[in-house]
Amino acid sequence: MLWFALILPDLPLQVFTRGVEDAGLLAVVEPQPRATIVIATAAARVRGVELRQGVAGALAVVPELALRERDPALEAATLAELATWAGRFTPCVSLDPPDAVLLEASASLRLFGGIDALAQRIADAALPLGLTTTLAAAPTPLAARWFARARPGTLVRPSDGWARALDALPIELLADGAPVPPATLELLRGVGVRRIGELARLPRDGLARRDASVVTDTVARARGHDPDPRPRFVPAERFASRLVLPASVTHTEPLRFAAGRLFSNLAAWLALRQAGLDCCRLHLEHDCAPATVVEIITGRPQRDAARFVQLACEHLAALTLPAPVEALRLTADAPVALPACTPDLFGGENDAAREAAIRLLDRLRARLGIDAVHTVLPVADHRPERAWRPAAPGTRPAPHPATLGPRPLWLMQPPRPLGAARTLTLLSGPERIESGWWDGDDVHRDYYVAHTAEGALWWVFERLDPPGGWYVHGFFG
Amino acid sequence: MSTSPLATLAGLPPGLVWPADRLARPAEAGVPTGFAALDAQLPGGGWPRGALIELLIDAFGIGELALLLPALRAAAPERWIAWIAPPHLPYAPALAAAGVRLDRLLLLTPSDPATILWTIRQAVASGGCSVVVAWLPNAQSAALRRLQLAAEASATSLFVVRPGGAAQQASPASLRLRLQPAQDALALEIVKRRGPPLAWPLRLPLPERPAAFPGRADRRCSGLR
Repeated sequence: MLWFALILPDLPLQVFTRGVEDAGLLAVVEPQPRATIVIATAAARVRGVELRQGVAGALAVVPELALRERDPALEAATLAELATWAGRFTPCVSLDPPDAVLLEASASLRLFGGIDALAQRIADAALPLGLTTTLAAAPTPLAARWFARARPGTLVRPSDGWARALDALPIELLADGAPVPPATLELLRGVGVRRIGELARLPRDGLARRDASVVTDTVARARGHDPDPRPRFVPAERFASRLVLPASVTHTEPLRFAAGRLFSNLAAWLALRQAGLDCCRLHLEHDCAPATVVEIITGRPQRDAARFVQLACEHLAALTLPAPVEALRLTADAPVALPACTPDLFGGENDAAREAAIRLLDRLRARLGIDAVHTVLPVADHRPERAWRPAAPGTRPAPHPATLGPRPLWLMQPPRPLGAARTLTLLSGPERIESGWWDGDDVHRDYYVAHTAEGALWWVFERLDPPGGWYVHGFFG
Repeated sequence: MSTSPLATLAGLPPGLVWPADRLARPAEAGVPTGFAALDAQLPGGGWPRGALIELLIDAFGIGELALLLPALRAAAPERWIAWIAPPHLPYAPALAAAGVRLDRLLLLTPSDPATILWTIRQAVASGGCSVVVAWLPNAQSAALRRLQLAAEASATSLFVVRPGGAAQQASPASLRLRLQPAQDALALEIVKRRGPPLAWPLRLPLPERPAAFPGRADRRCSGLR
């Protein structure tokens, strides 16, 4: 067994700040039992805000300090998000609240090239999440967690006597991730115990008599003498991720950064299920207005975060916000199975062109709107204005019968009455078109190809019912 | 030490400099236009790739699309043929009959001039289009310059259709053709090319245009009868 523990030391703060590049002066407040600062941004600490300081004291030091109340639900959701993300390294992921995720990675070591390479990889991949992580590895989950807390970066390999590495850790760690009450820690400190290794010298029965058997149990679990099973984390079936902004945002530019965070989560969720998405929704939450929903549609299932971000940016650029944005939420359902991409040995250029074509289509649709991007297809109807229909680009036309008479490349929509002054020479025709009596849109026309004085070829018709009236209906471009 | 200027020029890599009395020889051959007479007059033997091509016309319906049809038919099946801000509706039955692949056609109708230019640049720069045809009734020289730069950085042929009056203005396009109707043909005046000016207009017969039916010719109508 080899457990990686991933601890988020700044989680209460970063649930608010990860959506922005610079959070400025911000502190998170624990309201109970009395309002105290739990954690503050580096900028705030430089100005003199201290942890466990009362709110009034902190505001006296830094009057412009922004305060957010601690949000345990959001922290739990962010932790679950991290667990989902960690699923890319191993299927055995466990939540270890309040601020850690445990990964059992013994089965993945070979794939990732060993414990050091895997640790490096986890650390690198965690950067785009916007969460500070500390990492350690050990053969038991509790030991990994303690190392991540006290000696970040420690990678303890399973070997005989590995547990001796625990001896030097301070006993305060016993309360971390184990049900050791503060009174027991106080008792141990009272008898002069400072390090976990020193606990071994204490008599077991003596500890048990003083209600401190939980200490020996905890150490036994940490050393691997007792089993320490962990429930496996099951990722959500539907993706939903929410990002709270530290301050309300009135224009869309800063939202891009926050959206980037959400989309890297989405990409991780998709990678875990080997799936892609062709549609997701970005909700911009306002305080006093219903959320603005941006629907992001791609040409084909995707899981590339950069691609989603690019499309989202196009949408955001075209958006006017009805109210300041307080939070962003990204939801998606119906992922489509998308096998991991394998680079093509041959025909790479065609694939690149196809890829570029799809990317272009996505961008244009995002910026111009679906209605401004289309193609036209022929329809089997004798009436010229009904012999075509708009369609989504890429739609193959059905095989259609050859047209009877000449048809122009440009159609004039709707037909324009011919001015009296214009002189036309009729070159060919008439081609009589009488159709549509069944749907009330019947036409009775004689079509001609006409030559204008300027030398252009026009497609004109004479209306037969009611008689009279010449119209131009197209140009032979 | 002195070398003759001609020898210096001859030593430069091909495509960098072209003597004004000869057609330039671009590094990449052009896309055949489908008209041998026109290919012979174009540097690279066809529509240049990665270049802005201006088509100057006074009226629609003189065969301006028929001139492009061979290039559109030959477009690569995995890329788009983008038509940006067409002045009228491209008529699907006629395009299908002419052999244009409608499933590769991308009709883009941006709403305002700035978005039209953005769309053209995207279409050209993406590498996802083999041919881009854009209608710009009143384009500024700076905008055309940006389009020419975008086209140069790509392998896309960018056709820009402009009014005939623009022939008098300078333009950064590398090829400018003025299209005028001639009897059953299209007269092409090469306003600008990388090569010596052409003294006479080319006369291209357009086989795909409807010709007069024998027997029904010369009936005149003058407006409303």
